[in-house]
Amino acid sequence: MPIDINEDNLKHGLLGLVIALVEIIRDALKHQALRRMEGGSLRDEEIERLGTALEEIDIAIDQMKKEQGISETVKSVRDGLDGLVDDVLDQIVNPAKWKEEYEKKEVKNG
Amino acid sequence: MAEGRYVYCIVESSQETQLGNIGINGIRVYTIPYQDISAIVHNCPPEPYESEDNDVVKNWVITHEKVIETAWERLGIVLPLGFDTIIRTGEEKDPKKVVRDWIKEDYQNLKKKLDRVRGKAEYGVQISWDTKIISHALIEKDEELNKLSEDIKSKPKGVAYMYRQKLEKLIREKLLREAENHFKEFYGRIKKCTEDIRMEKIKKEEEPRQMLMNLSCLADKNDAKALGDELDKINNKESIFVRFTGPWPPYSFV
Repeated sequence: MPIDINEDNLKHGLLGLVIALVEIIRDALKHQALRRMEGGSLRDEEIERLGTALEEIDIAIDQMKKEQGISETVKSVRDGLDGLVDDVLDQIVNPAKWKEEYEKKEVKNG
Repeated sequence: MAEGRYVYCIVESSQETQLGNIGINGIRVYTIPYQDISAIVHNCPPEPYESEDNDVVKNWVITHEKVIETAWERLGIVLPLGFDTIIRTGEEKDPKKVVRDWIKEDYQNLKKKLDRVRGKAEYGVQISWDTKIISHALIEKDEELNKLSEDIKSKPKGVAYMYRQKLEKLIREKLLREAENHFKEFYGRIKKCTEDIRMEKIKKEEEPRQMLMNLSCLADKNDAKALGDELDKINNKESIFVRFTGPWPPYSFV
């Protein structure tokens, strides 16, 4: 398929990709913060500071997506990555599927 | 010169029948029988159909399926073949004989497959749920979640944020468990009314809808009502949605 590049959609796509990555990093941070909070290693003020900072990141990301009109682009990047991970996971943890694929191959090779 | 015969499907019929100009690009479709098994074909050059234009390909595939459905309605038992199945003549010059020989060679196997789908049809079953409504219901009835969501109201802003994340995480975990329970229950109920089930890939839906299962079911046409009734019961459950399609030719079971 030919790739249609002009300055506008390049900017759009690149920005979408960057924000998608920022979101993923934000999610990882959130995950860590949550684990520490649940593990009891954070004091109340620390929880408050972490929560406030993370919420500010959320707000900043949402605002940027709205201003630049890239919500859909970001979503499609993330859905694409989710799909990729699903496929990989499916193959690792789904022995029934392995068996099926193996049998298919057997038939093909006669 | 080499010739080709595009094969749509295999049917149980010994008749030479014309199906009309319903093929790809409006071409004439007819049967080539060998004993009691026929191939539904059209004449074509010995090359696959290819196009850069996705819409063109899409139209071809839709036509391909329509021909199979027509054959299915008129002739009963069909084994659908994939798009672009073309038999080409080699040393043997008569295309009709090439197709006959092809059926002959695989006759026992085709016969067995036809027997398997006799009197049966494929039905699509997709079950989804509304995660938003279910989440609210979970918070209502689950003590731990209920307490947490009450706690959030009295906390300072940053802590409330972290608690909300925790609440969301717990809800996700409980939803997953609930989804698994639903899946097992529904799968069992559907299995009772069907001959065979193929699991298809879950499709993404508009949030907050989420697909729980996507099945292709092979069922006796006489059992279709029982299956429909069972699915109605599932559909009547709170925030569960069932999509039931068919009967189709047994695309997924040949």
